[in-house]
Amino acid sequence: MSRLPADDLYSGTQSQRRRTSRNARVVNAPPPLLRLPRTMRRLQRQAPMLAIHALSELSGRLRDLTGHELIDMARVMELMQFVYRQQQLARRGADYAVDDFGFDAEWTESFLPLFKILYRDYWRIETAGIEQVPAAGRALLVANHAGVLPWDGTMIKTAVFAEHPNPRHVRALVASLFMGMPVLSWFLRRTGQTVGHPDDTRRLLERDQLVLVFPEGVRGTGKLYQDRYKLRRFGRGGFVSTAIRSGAPIVPVSVVGSEELYPMIGDATPLAKLFGLPYFPITPFWPWLGPLGIIPLPSKWRIQFHPAIHVEVHPPEAADDQNLVMALADQVRDTIQQGVYENLKLRRGVFV
Amino acid sequence: MNDPVSALEDMDFVHADTRQSVIGKLVRQLRIDTVVHLAVVIDSPREDRATHETNVIGTMNVLAGCAGPSSPVSRLVVKSSQAVYGARPEYPSLIVEDSAGIGRADSPVSRDLAELEQLTHDFALRNPGCRVARIRLGYRMTRETSLGRYLSLPLVPTFAGFDPRLQLLHEEDAAEAIARAALGDQEGVFNVAGDGVLVLSQAIAIMGARATPVLPPYGRWASRVAVRFATGVRIPAHMADLLMHGSVVDCSRLQTEFGWRPTYSTRAVLDAFALGQTEEPIESPSPPQEYELQVYLQRRRRERRNGHGSAALALSR
Repeated sequence: MSRLPADDLYSGTQSQRRRTSRNARVVNAPPPLLRLPRTMRRLQRQAPMLAIHALSELSGRLRDLTGHELIDMARVMELMQFVYRQQQLARRGADYAVDDFGFDAEWTESFLPLFKILYRDYWRIETAGIEQVPAAGRALLVANHAGVLPWDGTMIKTAVFAEHPNPRHVRALVASLFMGMPVLSWFLRRTGQTVGHPDDTRRLLERDQLVLVFPEGVRGTGKLYQDRYKLRRFGRGGFVSTAIRSGAPIVPVSVVGSEELYPMIGDATPLAKLFGLPYFPITPFWPWLGPLGIIPLPSKWRIQFHPAIHVEVHPPEAADDQNLVMALADQVRDTIQQGVYENLKLRRGVFV
Repeated sequence: MNDPVSALEDMDFVHADTRQSVIGKLVRQLRIDTVVHLAVVIDSPREDRATHETNVIGTMNVLAGCAGPSSPVSRLVVKSSQAVYGARPEYPSLIVEDSAGIGRADSPVSRDLAELEQLTHDFALRNPGCRVARIRLGYRMTRETSLGRYLSLPLVPTFAGFDPRLQLLHEEDAAEAIARAALGDQEGVFNVAGDGVLVLSQAIAIMGARATPVLPPYGRWASRVAVRFATGVRIPAHMADLLMHGSVVDCSRLQTEFGWRPTYSTRAVLDAFALGQTEEPIESPSPPQEYELQVYLQRRRRERRNGHGSAALALSR
């Protein structure tokens, strides 16, 4: 059978065709409008390197002068890497894949240096019991929720990714309210969060992921400063039923320190209603200082991962046994509450 | 509805309007045993009122024609759409056919589709002799759909602060799903959509366009009017929701009951569409052989580029 002429015409990729075309012409790039002198161009090219040299020189001098490490070059290099990584990610165009929940692992990992600065240097977080988080397989992390903004969630995620011997991404469940907000909705989905819907929880657990849930929900973040260490009600224990159904152990997590980020002295309910928010916080700095009021206070944190509660020993039918579910939910809540009190004793002060 | 362009053997083509009750007569006179109801408009350039007439009243007439003990119809396939769910932030990330609390979307198309599906469901309950399947097709990308036209813009206006997940379905997969449903006897509702998801900004990058996040997230009606005025692309109400919150469905029921899933992934659908933009449309199909040759050549070209050779060959058999 003879080949069709159209076959040859359309064979190969577009770029190959362009290369082999008879009409192809070599076109040079147009010269730039403004061409700097050679010395300036060299300077421009070497600017990052020179800046690093200057900083390390300065760091050494300061160390000799004061005897303290005022500029830590390791951290400076981490920040430089962060900037370089962001540039790399900006160049990848559409060449990446997100999972069904919209999670982009590469992009999320690129933000780790920033969160590590908060984790190590700003809140000086001490983590205990990280080995309780399984290195592989599914698990449901259950934590207490406090502070007006969900910084505790980001720090638990950072802890598991930065400190665990087998770094894993934690997928937190978020109130649907935040999934409808501009900027937040895409940032949360991109970094692996999803809606707090039982279907989503089960699906993630079935894919052997670590799922983080805050059963207190917005009632937890919106609690006043005077009740800061007291856990709220744990809903109807839906998280326990989901864990039993998907056969995942529950790892309780106690966080101390997130309570003091924004000391919430009042709740302006009419304003909250106006903006469609669950609460409108009044702190000593917000809303009086404007955007400065969003800066969290540098409290000292402790995160403790407790031994897993193996709810997966119960058969899946037990998920409908409300008695058992509520008992297990109370057990998880008590563990976390006890952990909060113990860690408060271990902490010397709020800011040290 | 256009006449078929190539020669049809063993096939009759009858013009009829579903808005008038001719279906019953046709079905009983010709002893038709399988009815595939595709006259459901999801993405229409016309007024919502006319769409409602076609979708709800038309479906009512089709169902009335197929109902009754004297009806020879034993298989009914009704086309529906993923748009029946609408898109809301509180929905699960992958929507199952019968998740609780879903289907209360407030756009006109979603309401029409929900009504149409309710009618079909009632029909299935009242006529146990007829096996009914509702096929919820995913969003498709062609030059004719709003989504296709929207993503073909050189500067794509998006909602500021939103980057939803998209899931797409290829035309060939949609056709095959309908064909399989017509030949099979599975009952119930089935989601049909491609594997995997893309985020909107990624889709725009694949199309070689630029995303411009200029639409304010509140007051969507004004945004839709502004986009239509500035670019000529009509964004229906349900699509505005989609472009903010995104909608992804779970097709595992289709996989288990039909043993088949769409061959094109979401990414492949968009790649094929992006490449197809550079392809010339087929012009003036004078003799049928000429038309078929051109279709064949275009398919060969597409296969070469995407590596979907086997899929397309399986379809053509």
